[in-house]
Amino acid sequence: MSEPANPVSHEGPDGTMDHLDEMTCLLYAERQLDRGRAQAVSAHAQDCAACRTLLRALERESRLLTRAMLEEDEPLPSRLAQFQERARQSFQWIWGVIFGLAATGVYALYTGFVEPWQQRLDQAGFGGTSLLSLLVFQGAFWKGWQSMMTLFEVLAMITVVGFGAVIFRRHLRRGSAVALVLAGLFAALILPGPASAAEFHKSESYELAKDQTVKSDIFITGARARIDGTVDGDLYFFGQSIDISGHIKGDAIIFAQSTRVSGQIDGNIRSFTNNLTITGTVEKNVLTFNETVTLDMAGKVDGSLTGFGQTATVDGHLGRGLLFMGDQTIISGTIDGEVQAKGNFMSIASTAQVAGPIHFEGNHPATVDAGAKLASPVQFTQMKRESEYEQGHYYVWRIIWTAAFILFGLVLFLLLPKFSEEVVMAGERVGAPIGLGVLVFFGVPIAALIALATVVGIPLSILTLGIWLLALFCAEIVVGAVVGNWILGKPADTWALIGRMALGFVIVRIVYTPLAHVHVIGFLVGLGIWIWGMGAISLALYNRLQPTATQSSMPGSMPPMSLPPNTTVGGIQPA
Amino acid sequence: MSVPGMTETTEAVARARAGDAEAWGQIYREMGPAIFRFCRRALPTREDAEDATMEIFSKLWEGRLIQYDETRSFSAWLYRVAANHCWDILRRRKIRQDKETEDVENVPLEHPDPNQLDRLIEQRTSAEVRHALDKLGARARMALVMRYYSDMSYDEIADALGVRRAFVGVVLLRARHELRQALEGKSALAAGGTS
Repeated sequence: MSEPANPVSHEGPDGTMDHLDEMTCLLYAERQLDRGRAQAVSAHAQDCAACRTLLRALERESRLLTRAMLEEDEPLPSRLAQFQERARQSFQWIWGVIFGLAATGVYALYTGFVEPWQQRLDQAGFGGTSLLSLLVFQGAFWKGWQSMMTLFEVLAMITVVGFGAVIFRRHLRRGSAVALVLAGLFAALILPGPASAAEFHKSESYELAKDQTVKSDIFITGARARIDGTVDGDLYFFGQSIDISGHIKGDAIIFAQSTRVSGQIDGNIRSFTNNLTITGTVEKNVLTFNETVTLDMAGKVDGSLTGFGQTATVDGHLGRGLLFMGDQTIISGTIDGEVQAKGNFMSIASTAQVAGPIHFEGNHPATVDAGAKLASPVQFTQMKRESEYEQGHYYVWRIIWTAAFILFGLVLFLLLPKFSEEVVMAGERVGAPIGLGVLVFFGVPIAALIALATVVGIPLSILTLGIWLLALFCAEIVVGAVVGNWILGKPADTWALIGRMALGFVIVRIVYTPLAHVHVIGFLVGLGIWIWGMGAISLALYNRLQPTATQSSMPGSMPPMSLPPNTTVGGIQPA
Repeated sequence: MSVPGMTETTEAVARARAGDAEAWGQIYREMGPAIFRFCRRALPTREDAEDATMEIFSKLWEGRLIQYDETRSFSAWLYRVAANHCWDILRRRKIRQDKETEDVENVPLEHPDPNQLDRLIEQRTSAEVRHALDKLGARARMALVMRYYSDMSYDEIADALGVRRAFVGVVLLRARHELRQALEGKSALAAGGTS
């Protein structure tokens, strides 16, 4: 609304008397005009009876409105009178208990799971880093960041950021906060540690000839690749099969169906592959998620071999330890370090030499051929057959984890109260979120993996998978909140919603825990919870991103309302 | 900004912020009725107003009070909280708002006859005005309540409604026109109201 340039004129061009428009009168009556314009209006009103009457009527209208609204025509409802007392009956002690249980859970998680793993990995040649930093930060995606973070630094950072955001939320516009977080995440993902040049190749088949040298990192996508030449940096491959007979001076990071290494790799191998066969030399460590990993008789790994998969065969020479979790572990070569294996079966051939202790946890004792040179006998641990739910501590753990999830939900709900409410509302529709959930649950990982293969889409793909995983973790919390709402009714505020979430979550856990051990049904119920919760989150996000017809009347936007023809502000009304 | 019918409770607020439940009770006793009446004027039904009042005080009890700047008027701040809360509730009822926007906001306003307007104001009682207020659209009623019940400034109203400050006068003027039509029994313009 523009302020009038010349608010008052007593006479129009045709000589008729002009009047103040109603908007000017209202702004004058409300003391919203600046001094000059107010004086002009006042001067005009002294000479113009009609405008004086209008001003007086507007002022009387204001007073009538105020009087009408202030009159106490209704008593205070008894419900409000009782409210004060109810509000004082706070259940904050419950949160203390939940927080305590959650803290216990984190401590127990560290001492019971992470720390032993860390020790094992230290022994296997991955000293100085935690499991998470080994698998993630030291892995394929964030090479060079391994010294930056450990698991607990990450956990501590997330917790501090979460609580900090809750405390300072009022100083931030939610949109800008989310944008900041996403931008930060994205920047963190796309910025590499040490900046270096890289070559990119995308074709059906790639070959680096024997006499060729790539003097930087190389990224290859395609069905097949053959490296006979030299790569001065790291090799990244996303495709079907790769054969490395040349020389890689950095690390080899491989996502492939089949990988064969007959040349030399000065760094590490990190691979997600069906079959990994090493007949050449790897000067550092091998970390692989695979079906079969084979260190051939001619093959040599100076560091350790860590594998997760079906079968590990060590016929060649392993400079440090072997850590394998899978079905079968077969050793007929030389291992200079310790062996840690877990699985169904272990076989040690007569040609085997193991310098360190051998720990095997399995269904059957290890088969050791006569003539095998072992530093000590195999320490065998029978894999426990007892069902989890027959053990007392299983229930203690369930309670601790339930508390931890409720605490996680509490932080999320406080961090994003409106969005949480929208997610729960979306979840209550049941059909739509489940339908969308099926699509997102299966579709997003597939799309992310496709994006992963395009190299340039790697950061986006990782971010998407991260969000997908986060949504997966939140799914049970969302379903819990929906169930809580069904039982206790619509919440009045965020804390009421959190209370309902806690109640619903406990109920879902109580119902789901026995079902989880029933073959197929347990899996289906769990899958249903994931899909439902994830669908609700997706639906709420979808609703937020949809342009609505009411946008114009939302805060922050100018309504599509034009000034009325007879109320041009400050203009003159012909009489 | 002075707010009719309300006592400043600075000391009680300070104690409530320190966790004194008794002080919080005092604030509720002093402010509760006024905030309920504000919500009652702003929202379509009595039940809505009851719910909103409880939600507003629940927010205070659960930590919102920390956001209050003690150098400013507590009652004015509380009214802003209430206004934002009520407007949030009304905004969520999108369908009604769409209709209201279509029906009301595009109709041009006629310049009133000063004498007729003066007579209309003189003849109407407070009860009739309250009845007419119930027939108004959400934004019109909200704007009038913020301005003439809680004496909020144009800046505060602009902030609460999410419009430019310069547009508040237009919103108020349109609201008055709607109100006059409702007082005259011409409820056509208020057909999209939320009553």
